[in-house]
Amino acid sequence: MRRLLRIAVREYVAYVRTVGFWLSMLALPLGMGLVMAASGWMEASAPPPALVVVDLTPDQGYLPAVSEAVETRNSLGRLRNEIVPSPVALPRDPAAIGAALKPWLSGEARLEGKRRLAGALVIHGAGERVALDVWTDSPLLGASETVRTTIATRMQREKLVAAGVDPSLVTATQALQPTVTDYSPKTAGKASLLTRLPGLIGFAAAMLLWSVIFTGAGILLNGVIEEKSSKVLEVLLSSATVPEILFGKILGVAGVTFTVLGVWGTVSTVLLNVFAPAQAAGIGQVLFSGGLVFYFAFYLICGYLMYASIFTAIGSFCETTREAQTLLGPIMILLTIPVIFLSQALRRPDTPALDILSWVPPFTPFMMTARAASNPPIWQVAGTGVLMLATVALVVWIAGRAFRAGALSTGKVDFKGLVAKLRGGE
Amino acid sequence: MQAALELERVTKRYGAFTAVDDLSFSARQGRILGFLGPNGAGKTSTLRMVLGLSEPTSGRLSVLGAPDGRSVRDRIGFLPEERGLYRRMTPVEAIVFLAGLKGLPAGEARKRARAMLEQQGLGEAQNRQIRQLSKGMAQKVQLIAAIAHEPELVILDEPFSGLDPVNQQALEAMIRGLAERGATVVFSTHVMQHAERLCEHVVLLAKGRKAFDGTVSEAKARAPRALVLEGSLEAADAGALPGVAEVTSQPLDSGHVRHSCALKPGASGQEALKAAFAQGLDIQRFELREPSLHDAFIVLTGESLDEEAAA
Repeated sequence: MRRLLRIAVREYVAYVRTVGFWLSMLALPLGMGLVMAASGWMEASAPPPALVVVDLTPDQGYLPAVSEAVETRNSLGRLRNEIVPSPVALPRDPAAIGAALKPWLSGEARLEGKRRLAGALVIHGAGERVALDVWTDSPLLGASETVRTTIATRMQREKLVAAGVDPSLVTATQALQPTVTDYSPKTAGKASLLTRLPGLIGFAAAMLLWSVIFTGAGILLNGVIEEKSSKVLEVLLSSATVPEILFGKILGVAGVTFTVLGVWGTVSTVLLNVFAPAQAAGIGQVLFSGGLVFYFAFYLICGYLMYASIFTAIGSFCETTREAQTLLGPIMILLTIPVIFLSQALRRPDTPALDILSWVPPFTPFMMTARAASNPPIWQVAGTGVLMLATVALVVWIAGRAFRAGALSTGKVDFKGLVAKLRGGE
Repeated sequence: MQAALELERVTKRYGAFTAVDDLSFSARQGRILGFLGPNGAGKTSTLRMVLGLSEPTSGRLSVLGAPDGRSVRDRIGFLPEERGLYRRMTPVEAIVFLAGLKGLPAGEARKRARAMLEQQGLGEAQNRQIRQLSKGMAQKVQLIAAIAHEPELVILDEPFSGLDPVNQQALEAMIRGLAERGATVVFSTHVMQHAERLCEHVVLLAKGRKAFDGTVSEAKARAPRALVLEGSLEAADAGALPGVAEVTSQPLDSGHVRHSCALKPGASGQEALKAAFAQGLDIQRFELREPSLHDAFIVLTGESLDEEAAA
C-alpha cells in the first residue's frame, strides 16, 4: 500500500505541475464564459433578421395581422424578426417577386444600415385559395410558421363569418386553447424540473463517465508510453509489484481528473446556489435522497477501472503514440457506441436496445448510469453490478499480466507474441 | 561465508529459444561478482530472474534467502541495462521517489540524496531537471537512486556502458565503496577490464551456458601466456622456438613484424627468448605478456567479445 500510494502521489504531482493541467482546469470555465459572452455580444450587436412581407390579396388585409403576430412574438423575446419595407418596387406577379428581390436576398445588395434581407414572404390569392410563398436561403427563426398560422386563422374566420357565424363568437372560438399540465407518474403530482432532473442527471453522469475515461485513460496511456520509452518501467517493476504500479498510476491519474472535475463542480455549485438556488437544491435532493450518488459512483469506478487498466496495459507495449494508435483502434470504436445510445436513454429509456447493451460489459457503466432515471428493475441493477465486478476483476488480472509482459518487452508488438506473453505472463 | 545469491541449475526458455541453460553459481556476501559475457549471452535474462521480473523455466534461486527478489525487493538495489529516469524530476526528487519505494522515509532519503550527489560532484545539478543533465550525470543519479536505501544486494546490469573513461573510474570507485560497506555487488558486463579491476570472483557466460566460475586469477591461468617478439625475424623462426605453441603475426609500419607467440602450458618464456638470441634472430623488441581476462574468455568459450573502444 505504501508503494501504491507513493506511485499515485508521484503521478498526481507530475501532472499537477504541468501547464496542461492548469489549462485544462481553466479551459471549461473560460470556454463557457467565452461562449456566453460571445452569444450575448452577438445578440446585442446583431439586428434581428429583416423580412419583407408582401400582401397581394385583394384587400391586403393580411399584412396588419401578420405584422401584429410577428411583433407579439418578438415581444415574447423568442425568435425575433423585423418586418421592413421592400427596398425596391415589386411587381404584382408573385412568381416575379423572388427575382426582383434576388440581389438583396443573395447578399449582393444590402438594405439600409448594410443589413442583409433574410427573406421575403409573399401572401397572394383570395378567399379559400390564399397562398404563402417563402423566399429565403436562411432560417427565418420560425417567422414563416407564425405568418402561416396567422393567415390560416384569418382564412378560417372569413369562412365562418361568410357562413353566418357571429364574428364575436368566431373570435372567442379561435382564442380557445387547452390547458396543458404535465404530471409525473413517479410523484403522482405535477411534473416539475425536479421530476425530470434524474433523467438529466443520469445523462450528465454518463457523459461525465465517458469524458473521465477519455481524458483519464488518455493521460495514463501517454504516461506509460513515456515511462516505457524512457526505460523507467523496468526500475519500477524491480521496486514494486505489478498491482501496486497499475493501481498507483490509475489512482494518481484519477486524482488528477477528479481534481479538475472537483474544481469545476465546486465552482458550478457555488454559482448555481447563488443564481439558481431552487435548481441547486433540486439537484442535491435527487443525488442524495435515494442513494443515486452511490449508484453513479459504483458504475463510475467500475467503468474507469476497466478502461484505465486496458489503456495502461496497451501503453506498456508501446514506445510511441503511433504504436499505441494501432492497438487503440478497437477500443475507440467501442467507446463511441455508448455516446450514440446515451441520448436515447434520455428520450426513450424503455428502448429494448438499452436493456441489451446494459448487459454488454464495455457499455454497462454508461447505459446503467444513463438509465438511472427510468428506475431499471432491481434484478438488472444487481445483475449488471455483479457482471461489472467480475469483468473488472478479469480485465485488471489480464491487464496486470499484459503490463508486466509489455513493460519488459522490446521491439514491435505482434498479436501472436502478445497472446503468448499473456498466457505465459511474460 | 553465506551466499547472498545462489542459482542452482537455472534454465530460462522463451519458446524454442533457450536464453539461460542449466546455470549454477553463487555470490558471497560483501563481495563483488562479475557476471561476464558477450551481448545475448543471457546475462540480463538471469538478472531478471534474480529480481523476480521473470520466472525460471526450471531450477532454483535463492536471493537473500528468498526464492527470488520479489519478497526482498527492499533489500535489493537494481540498475537496469537500459537506463531511464523521469525526465522532469530533479535528481533529488528521483532519488527520494525510488528510495521511497524501497521503504526509505522521504526526509532521510532527501538527506542521503544530497550527500551522495555532493560526493559524486553533482551538488550543482541536484535541483536541475534530469533532462538537462548529461548522460554520465544522469547515470550517476540513477546509480545513487539504486543504492540510496543501502541495499544488501546490488545488481548492476552493464553499469559502464555509455560512460566516458572518467565516469567509468568514478563508477568503479562507487562499486568498491558498496562492497566496503558490506553489500554484495553483482554486475554484468561484456567489458573484461572492469571485471579485472573490480572482481575477485567472475562467472563467464556464453550462449546461455556457464563457461567459467571462479576467481579472476584462476580464469587467467586457463589462457596461455604469450611472448611478443618484434623485428625482421620470420614467423617460422618464432614458431620453432622452444615452448611456443602457436604464432600470430602482424606487419608493422616500421617494416618489422610483430609475432605473438602463445606459449604451451608450463613453458617458460625465458627459454624461448634465450634460444632466439642464441640463434641470432633479429629482435628489436620483446615482451612476456600475461593473459588478460579477455584472453581467458576466448580460450574458455571459443568466442570473442565485442568490447567497447572506450573501455
